[in-house]
Amino acid sequence: MNRKSFFHAFIPASLGTMLINKSFANPATHPAVANIPPYLKRGDTIGITCPAGPIEIGNIQPCCRALKKWGLNVRYGNTVGKQWLRFGGTDKERLEDFQSLLDDDNINAILFGKGGYGTMRIIDKLNWEKFKRKPKWLVGYSDLTTVHLHVHANLGIPTIHGDMGNGFSDDYDASSSSLYNVLYGHKVKYNIKGSRLNRLGTAQGTLVGGNLTLLQACAGSKSDIKTEGKILFIEDVSEYKYSIDRMMMSLKRGGKLDKLAGLIVGGFTSTKSEEEESFQVSVEEIVWDKVKDYTYPVCFHFPAGHIKDNRALKMGVAYEFCVSQNDVSLVENSSAPDPVFLTDDLKIGNDSLYNFSDTMFAAPPRLPFPQ
Amino acid sequence: MAITPPYLKHGDCIGVVCPAGFMPADKVQTCLQVLDNWGYQVKVGTTVGSQCHYFSGTDEERLADLQQMLDDEDVHAILCARGGYGLTRMIDKINFKKFCRKPKWIIGFSDISVLHSHIHRQYGIATLHAPMAAAFNSDAYKNEYVESLRNAVAGIKADYICDSHAYNKKGSCSGELVGGNLSLIAHLCGTESAFKTRRRILFLEDVSEYIYNVDRMFYQLKRNGMFDRLAGLIIGGFTDMKDTTTPFGKQVYDVIHDLVKNYDYPIAFGFPVSHDKENLALKIGREYKLTVAGKKVRLMEK
Repeated sequence: MNRKSFFHAFIPASLGTMLINKSFANPATHPAVANIPPYLKRGDTIGITCPAGPIEIGNIQPCCRALKKWGLNVRYGNTVGKQWLRFGGTDKERLEDFQSLLDDDNINAILFGKGGYGTMRIIDKLNWEKFKRKPKWLVGYSDLTTVHLHVHANLGIPTIHGDMGNGFSDDYDASSSSLYNVLYGHKVKYNIKGSRLNRLGTAQGTLVGGNLTLLQACAGSKSDIKTEGKILFIEDVSEYKYSIDRMMMSLKRGGKLDKLAGLIVGGFTSTKSEEEESFQVSVEEIVWDKVKDYTYPVCFHFPAGHIKDNRALKMGVAYEFCVSQNDVSLVENSSAPDPVFLTDDLKIGNDSLYNFSDTMFAAPPRLPFPQ
Repeated sequence: MAITPPYLKHGDCIGVVCPAGFMPADKVQTCLQVLDNWGYQVKVGTTVGSQCHYFSGTDEERLADLQQMLDDEDVHAILCARGGYGLTRMIDKINFKKFCRKPKWIIGFSDISVLHSHIHRQYGIATLHAPMAAAFNSDAYKNEYVESLRNAVAGIKADYICDSHAYNKKGSCSGELVGGNLSLIAHLCGTESAFKTRRRILFLEDVSEYIYNVDRMFYQLKRNGMFDRLAGLIIGGFTDMKDTTTPFGKQVYDVIHDLVKNYDYPIAFGFPVSHDKENLALKIGREYKLTVAGKKVRLMEK
């Protein structure tokens, strides 16, 4: 029973409504706990759809093998294996496929096949009515940031920022095991080593954000998010540094950086430089420059983004974020069980669970930062 | 309609600055010479020829130079020598008080779209979207596009005629002209510097963007409601477009046409406003009449 029906079951209707209005009055401090989609259990079915770029069935086999090992059934949407231009089907095909998985009671969660570009072309035509009544986990990142932002801004239902169909490998790694933990309802709890670039501090807040380019591309639209009192996560790939600077300026000038509870900077990989070699500032400096006047905790090099170690993040739920000299922790405010090390029967290959990789970032920062 | 700054008279002074990217001094020489030949005095700002890695100076230096030109009563217009990137880093620190009391023409395009948009939205003062210093080089200052800048600052009303395009939507409309570089207009969405486009004629151009990114930016404008209630739409040059390993599979004009074809206001593709040579001076904030006919398109300043 969710929180809302609990109230309605035991309190007279009018009083119940008053209590609900009060308890949901401030979404920044009261995350929409009533709307948490059910976690998965063995035997559940996960649907795969491609609202953005195209994917060939062969390329999602490592993903399907992992999901099956975890005890899940996999259902391919009609867009898996389809291609129209640079998309996983026409706008109509992608819309219909996504919509049918959203509305299908036998689909317990949706994993997106691939990022790329295209979600924005269909997002306004999706009907969320059924999803709103019966939420399910939506898993993806990059172009699918559009979904995270749209769902957070309009429905207040949590989503999962994590690996997609094309992102699994047959090597057992920290990202896929972190996704297992999130899907099966274990608490999100990450601890990584500290960095001299970080700004120390502790914060509580709802985690929002995703790909910086999409955060900017949704600015001013129906999918635009409010960030006040929240922990913002950003990552990006293959962008020019001047463009990263410009997008950070967009966030700043759009009032999205001044009242944050905290900032988490993930991978900023494969930055382009062919035509702007003279932009001699590191990504870390570019980001720092936009937030240096504030006081909230900032963490660089968080293991999430277009990198191998892409830890699953539950977006739209509250966390405690603690940046100290030696380490950084991001822990979900929840009484859920702690994450588990996957037992051998759930693993695909061999590796340690939380293997922090120092090699996942594009380039070391050039200049020391003021602390 | 926006407040129109005074047009230039013989002997007036044009200040030249580089508020964004770095520009080597020798690339500005022809422009300075031609402005002088046109009968204007020229005041060269401290950021012309100076460099701080990508930029023409630190944010503080670029701000100080532009601010000085805005405040100097002996400067009657400001020509930005180059775009690039950088205005958004200092736009909120510019003091427009004196400029608002005594407006002057601000000239440029590309990154300068930030100034155009911000000034239009915040202060309702007309600015000039027009060729910059590089457009004067190699004798190009003799062409009709640089000539259109010369006419615009002198107060000669524009009456442009260009060929029609298969994607055009016929009709005619009148309205205040707004627009500029698509990347910058998208970048300003959600900020207090974004253009209000309702009942206006919007023009857009861009350079060196990926086709998928142009599509995304058009969607952003669309989702911001910027196309909903336009008087008319002008699509300029989208030049040197790039594509990804997985090709988009459509040319940039096809992509744009798909997005705007269902609007019922007049639409003109292929209008000469671009990062190429074809770049007619357009006064943002002034009233124009746009006529899109079968063979020709006419944009006439009222």
